[in-house]
Amino acid sequence: MSLRRVGVLLRNETASGASNILFVFAIVAPVLISLVLTLVFGSLFNDKPRLGLVGPANSEFGQRAAQLEAIDFAAYENVDELREAVADGREDLGLVLPDGFEQAVAEGEPVAVQAYIWGESLAQNRTILGTTIARITREMAGQEAPVEISVVSVGDGQSLAIGDRLLPLVILIAVFFGGTMVPASSLVQDRERGTLQAVTVTPATLTDLVFAKGALGVIVSVIMATVTLLLNGVAIAEPLALYLFLIVGAIMAASFGLFLGMMAKDITGLMAIIKALGLLLYAPAIVYLFPTLPQWIARVFPTYYIIGPVIEISQNGATLADVAIDLMILSILTAIMMGGLVVLTRRRQLQPAGV
Amino acid sequence: MNSRIIGALMAKDLVLFFRNRFFAVVTVLGLVAYVVIYLVLPDSVDEELTLAIYAPALPPVFEMIQEEGLVFDAFDSEESLKEVVADGDYLAGIALGDGALARLAVGEKAPIQIYLNATAPPEIQDAVPLVVEELFLMQSGQPLPLEVETEILGQDRVGFQIPPRDRMLPLFAVFLMITEMLGLSSLIAEEIVGRTLQALLITPLTVGGIFAAKGIIGVGLAAGQAVIFLLLTAGLSQQPFLVLIALLLGAVMVTGIGFLLASLGRDLLSIMSWGIPLLIVLMVPAFAVIFPGGVSDWVRFIPSYYLVDTVHQAINLDVGWSELWSNLVVLLVFDVAVVWLGMTALRRRVL
Repeated sequence: MSLRRVGVLLRNETASGASNILFVFAIVAPVLISLVLTLVFGSLFNDKPRLGLVGPANSEFGQRAAQLEAIDFAAYENVDELREAVADGREDLGLVLPDGFEQAVAEGEPVAVQAYIWGESLAQNRTILGTTIARITREMAGQEAPVEISVVSVGDGQSLAIGDRLLPLVILIAVFFGGTMVPASSLVQDRERGTLQAVTVTPATLTDLVFAKGALGVIVSVIMATVTLLLNGVAIAEPLALYLFLIVGAIMAASFGLFLGMMAKDITGLMAIIKALGLLLYAPAIVYLFPTLPQWIARVFPTYYIIGPVIEISQNGATLADVAIDLMILSILTAIMMGGLVVLTRRRQLQPAGV
Repeated sequence: MNSRIIGALMAKDLVLFFRNRFFAVVTVLGLVAYVVIYLVLPDSVDEELTLAIYAPALPPVFEMIQEEGLVFDAFDSEESLKEVVADGDYLAGIALGDGALARLAVGEKAPIQIYLNATAPPEIQDAVPLVVEELFLMQSGQPLPLEVETEILGQDRVGFQIPPRDRMLPLFAVFLMITEMLGLSSLIAEEIVGRTLQALLITPLTVGGIFAAKGIIGVGLAAGQAVIFLLLTAGLSQQPFLVLIALLLGAVMVTGIGFLLASLGRDLLSIMSWGIPLLIVLMVPAFAVIFPGGVSDWVRFIPSYYLVDTVHQAINLDVGWSELWSNLVVLLVFDVAVVWLGMTALRRRVL
């Protein structure tokens, strides 16, 4: 194998990537899926009550409501806009404050207000919003709650928003779309077009070619995983540990992709195999999505050893020492995958034609 | 048009479609996967905020306030309350110390301990203290300087909310249909490039016959999958005839779009190049159904909106013909236009 030839082939692969729909897909899909999944499932399971308000400009009520973590708050210009927002379900409850509201409340005078309630809003949300409105109003009236509250957090685990539970899935998609689909589709297309045979009559060997395609897959995979982490607001606290796992995971994904590319007869067969294996690849992330499932199930799947440690490092502050065993397991799995690829490549190299 | 020849062509197309491993896998796996996802998703909506409470003497307001949305489960001791919250049986628990009510009665502040489970969402962590403060303000008799006039907009669904999995039914059904569009387009495109379609015209088969055969296969596969999915998920229990008509019109729509795509592409990858952006655009209205108000009004310009809206309202809200007929008319008009466009574009490519 010649590194110089690999470099040339890698440059060609990168240049021709833009014309390959699957290469473009590997770049765009993780970003798009990241946004869509968070949007769809985040909204589907996000029950945070939403309050809309029409009232005097810079109202104290609005300022107090905006500071609360218990609700999502939005101000509207006029009643028609507010009614439309509530009717569309963008707000659970819309409140219209009359002029002079703050003064009347401060003087203890009861004030008539109009509230619009979305028919599909949850009972729990209506109660929380009603309580919140009452509480803000009482604060403005100078009423103090006759209680001294102390709050204690109990139990194991931590509160994970649905967006955080989706993170492993979107990272795995980023790693495998780039790492698997790019080299696999490139290999199959080259074989279908006869380019593979053409290259191998040059001093470049099949090993050089496979290595170049794999390298591109690894590069795309690591870049897209990084982009996904940043898009989801994850701080890269332990870069060495994080990128060790991402790089080894990307190598595993690329090796797997090249293996599939060698085995698939054509592009439709390749796509069918990737589709069929999708559940196995993403299973650990799906288990993580449902905390009520026994989490040990995820460890059965090889891709867990990419995503599990990445989550531990990025979300739970684990260090390299904490995930060293997972790194060892991932390295062994990757070595097995690469070994299989090397054996297959050598066999194909020995075949006279039609690899 | 010779119906026997068209029948033979349809049979051939079915065999070819399922011989394409990608689409055969996607068709079967997709159906199975969506049914499994539907069954795994929650089938009910828990609307109530249930809090654990310990109090030697429960303040009257806590018993009066147990209405829709807020429920208190009493416990015998603070220790048992803390245990159930720590175990995750309750997201939060409220413990009133001994003498809390007595201190309230003499105008002093009552000590309240709130236990929050570590996995409680941030909004619950903030909301529970607010709720407790408000309840004690009510208990103390301090008047609320508000008179609220409420108006419910839309159907009041408290007590019978639409479960998340039922909200996603239109999304899955439409996604199944649109995926079939890619399969049909790929099939036709490959036949054009391979000149199979042109060869067929040497036989007694006419161009009209070809379109009839492709159209029936396209509509049948698209609508058939969606119908099977809805049957397996009991999605046809309300307004079945209306839903079936909507699905049929939707299937005609995706078939017409499939013809257009086929006139542009040469193989699976080129079809996907055009088809995937189009798929994303056609799916946007389905998201508008899943999270109402999350997508702007421009979504009504996407024709699949009228399909998704009809299916959602019929299945989940039991809305009937009188309110949804206009959606079907818009779909029908679009179907006529897109099928005509698709046939024209394809005819130019074939002939």
